[in-house]
Amino acid sequence: MPDLQIKATINGRKVARSAKPHQRLLDFLRDDLNLTGNKEGCGAGECGTCSVFVDGVLMKSCLLPVAKAQGTAIETVEGLARGGELSVLQKAFHKAGASQCGYCIPGMVMAATAALRANPFADREEIKERLGGNICRCTGYQKIFDAVELARDVQNGRLPATALSEQEHAEGDFIGKNVRRIDAPSKVSGKLRYAGDMIMPGMLHVQVLRSPHAHARILSIDTSAAEAMDGVEGVITCTDVPGEDGFGVFVHDQPVMARGKVRYVGEAVAAVAAEDPVTARRAVAAIKVVYELLPAVFDAEEAMRSGAPVLHDYAPDNITKHIPIRVGDVEAGFAAADLVLEENYSTQAIEHAYLEPEAGLAYVDHDGVVTVVSPSQNITHHRHMLAKIIAKPISKVSFIMSPVGGGFGGKEDMIYQGMLALLAMKTDRPVRLVFTREESMASTAKRHPSRTTLRMGFTREGRILASHLTMICDGGAYGLSTEGVMRKAAILGAGPYAIPNVRVDTYGIYTNNTPSGAFRSFGALQTQFATESTLDMAAERLGLDPFVIRRINAFQDGGTTHTKQRLGKVSLTRVLDALEQGSGWEQGVPAVRGGARSDLGRSDVRPAVSLGARFAAHDKQEAAE
Amino acid sequence: MARKRGRGMAASWYGIARTATVDRAAAWAEIDDGGSAKVVTGVTEIGEGILTVLAQIAAQEMGVKPEHVVIGDNDTARAPEAAHAGATRQTYMIGSAVALASREAKKRLVEVMAAIWDVPADTIHTGNGEIWAENTNHRISMGEAVHRAKGKGVVPVGSATFGTDTTGIADGKGGDGSGRPWQAYVFGAQVAEVEVDTVTGEVQVLGVWAAHDVGRAVNPQGVEGQIEGGVVQALGQGLMEDYQLDKGRTTTPGFAKYILPTSLDVPRVNSIIVEEPDPIGPLGVKGIGEPAMVPTIPAIMNAIYDAVGVRITALPATPEKVLAAIREKEKREAQMQAAE
Repeated sequence: MPDLQIKATINGRKVARSAKPHQRLLDFLRDDLNLTGNKEGCGAGECGTCSVFVDGVLMKSCLLPVAKAQGTAIETVEGLARGGELSVLQKAFHKAGASQCGYCIPGMVMAATAALRANPFADREEIKERLGGNICRCTGYQKIFDAVELARDVQNGRLPATALSEQEHAEGDFIGKNVRRIDAPSKVSGKLRYAGDMIMPGMLHVQVLRSPHAHARILSIDTSAAEAMDGVEGVITCTDVPGEDGFGVFVHDQPVMARGKVRYVGEAVAAVAAEDPVTARRAVAAIKVVYELLPAVFDAEEAMRSGAPVLHDYAPDNITKHIPIRVGDVEAGFAAADLVLEENYSTQAIEHAYLEPEAGLAYVDHDGVVTVVSPSQNITHHRHMLAKIIAKPISKVSFIMSPVGGGFGGKEDMIYQGMLALLAMKTDRPVRLVFTREESMASTAKRHPSRTTLRMGFTREGRILASHLTMICDGGAYGLSTEGVMRKAAILGAGPYAIPNVRVDTYGIYTNNTPSGAFRSFGALQTQFATESTLDMAAERLGLDPFVIRRINAFQDGGTTHTKQRLGKVSLTRVLDALEQGSGWEQGVPAVRGGARSDLGRSDVRPAVSLGARFAAHDKQEAAE
Repeated sequence: MARKRGRGMAASWYGIARTATVDRAAAWAEIDDGGSAKVVTGVTEIGEGILTVLAQIAAQEMGVKPEHVVIGDNDTARAPEAAHAGATRQTYMIGSAVALASREAKKRLVEVMAAIWDVPADTIHTGNGEIWAENTNHRISMGEAVHRAKGKGVVPVGSATFGTDTTGIADGKGGDGSGRPWQAYVFGAQVAEVEVDTVTGEVQVLGVWAAHDVGRAVNPQGVEGQIEGGVVQALGQGLMEDYQLDKGRTTTPGFAKYILPTSLDVPRVNSIIVEEPDPIGPLGVKGIGEPAMVPTIPAIMNAIYDAVGVRITALPATPEKVLAAIREKEKREAQMQAAE
């Protein structure tokens, strides 16, 4: 198909350029015009990070073929702060602390701008509905709503413009004050460049061949057809790794690209660097891999049975890590208890879903330093590991952490930086890889899914005498952070309570599922979910208020933890008191009090949503008028 | 009534900084020309606001304004090691290192000015871009002071390292897990208020009250942001998110199938910040990133039980699962009634 000749007005400037017919408006803006303020978060119209105005209408530019831009007037986030001064809404985002990682923020600012253009008097509930097409993973949205309400009030003159300024802090006292975020202006304006927004002269584009199988031996990889293609500058497989091929946060069990066998669907097998992404994709498709399928295991408990398929030779029982905690004698505790409860709990795998999919660049600098620029949460450890992988001294390896568009633990693993370094070394040119959302979902770590059995024994007064917790977690195909997650889950699992008899065992298990790794709250979330649920069941059976049963057992100053560590000052009782008071909690036994409570529906909860109800009422009113 | 409300609560604890190794972080600080300040450290911002926190700490400790702090970071070739951006460690570890480095830089400048003004060093103070000596007319801008120090051949720099006094735990074969894994512990507790639709099984979380000990809140708005974001991520896991696999292949490959909380799903979050200063670090700070998520899910599940009498022990509490549990409960109750 011939190139298109696009004529449009973009941020007030007339643009006439040729474009490829396969391009989306988002590609045209970002790649051809270098307007990288609006981001690609999902490529499917689900997340809203790419939102722009087309003839004044808010549109998701990842869904628009570039041909649709013909003759239109387009406004991107770069168009909002004309002449460098932030718009009222952008200033309000700054003031309200509405940006965290910032990756969703340009799209969010566009959607909020649309909301206030549509209804300058929109209330908080209407604002929520109008922002419903934009996902934010960091903020919990609350400060975004605050920002839009603040901007609305300033625009309407209900608040002075000074409501947007920095407060004065007397005598240089800044700790404890709401100093506005110093990085917010770059985020609300779209000026901050994440790795996927960066370009380097002569840069090649990387694509990765990934395993379609959960467990298979690699019999052969033939890259000759890919290497022969015009525009392909480098193809790598595990044979290109010059040093010790292994990475991981604890055990270095994962090769940069599959070596000998693949262990999960989505595992990297080979990578290509080419002049453009389309050529790189075609080259990836031209790599021929012959696999011999192996029996696979998809369940952690099955993987622990003898005779189960083994993933890693070093761990014939498929156990990545077992962590024990032992205090006293739990059986004696149960024998002495008035009430013993046993329950099974399970939690699912979840995705970090940072709005910024993985992306990175690598180059070999003028001094021969292999440099990787990526949103890595652990540049120090990545540098150590990469030096061994590429067999160079640490002084010849450098990591730069690019702005991180959300991490939550998911960017602690060095899952693609090794490939970038190897391709930069092989081609002697800068290279860049940007994951698609689908690639990010399928190939990167998840929160450990867990199965927990918890048995707790209590006296009739509510004192915990024994806690026996066993958790089995599916760690997936590689170790990543599993060891640490099991450790934290075990140490914190019995909760912040003085318990004379504790037995905890956490197991991280290899399976042929997507690897599990670090995720905010790191195992403590799974085990404490079980303990806190059982505590409420006990409270009901013993006729105690939930706060009361926790106070009875809470660690006190100078208490001893389940790892036999002496604590100093313990703030738990203070925290419980503050919560009980702050929430206006009505004391009582948790025996399905529900609607009979008097503490429901205070002014500090939101109204329940009935989707469309407000619009239905509005329509009725209009009809009546 | 098709919709029933209830409340639940849960408590939690968390260790601050890393458990696997002794944790450590380093920083360099300089009171720079014009009275600006420069701070260099290894890793930083992943969205939580740590750059601003470090700027506040450096500004207060050196005596400049936060907007005049320049932070050089995130480059293993050009910054000292500060380990990683995770484990709720940055405010505690890097914040403490920056405070100590800033104090050293300030001390250098103060010593020069004490000699120039011929006053005892402990009578000199800095703040908001100025330096002055108690009970004298000596008061000049930090920019002027830096200029004078450099005229005496002194560049006001400081460096510091902050490490923890912790151990691993005895988790080898036959071990009992004993050890001192963290130096600082934080405690948190949350109440959730929910509305459960007994026709559809849908759960709406209308309000969350979140009380957390953060040691000392460097930036309260930032602490609230961490709590609000953490609560909503936990709500996602509690009620809707589910990465599913079929024989190792995901059936939730994008956001059309992998459901995330949107603006219409989130509760009003009321943060209650408790400050019990850490006795060991130079600032009293602890951390909040991860702890914010821990009590949310059990608080919501306990609230669902309070509302409709069903206990969800297998996450997520999707409408289908909640509805099935309600129907099961109704059946059980009907059978019991029939039996009586």
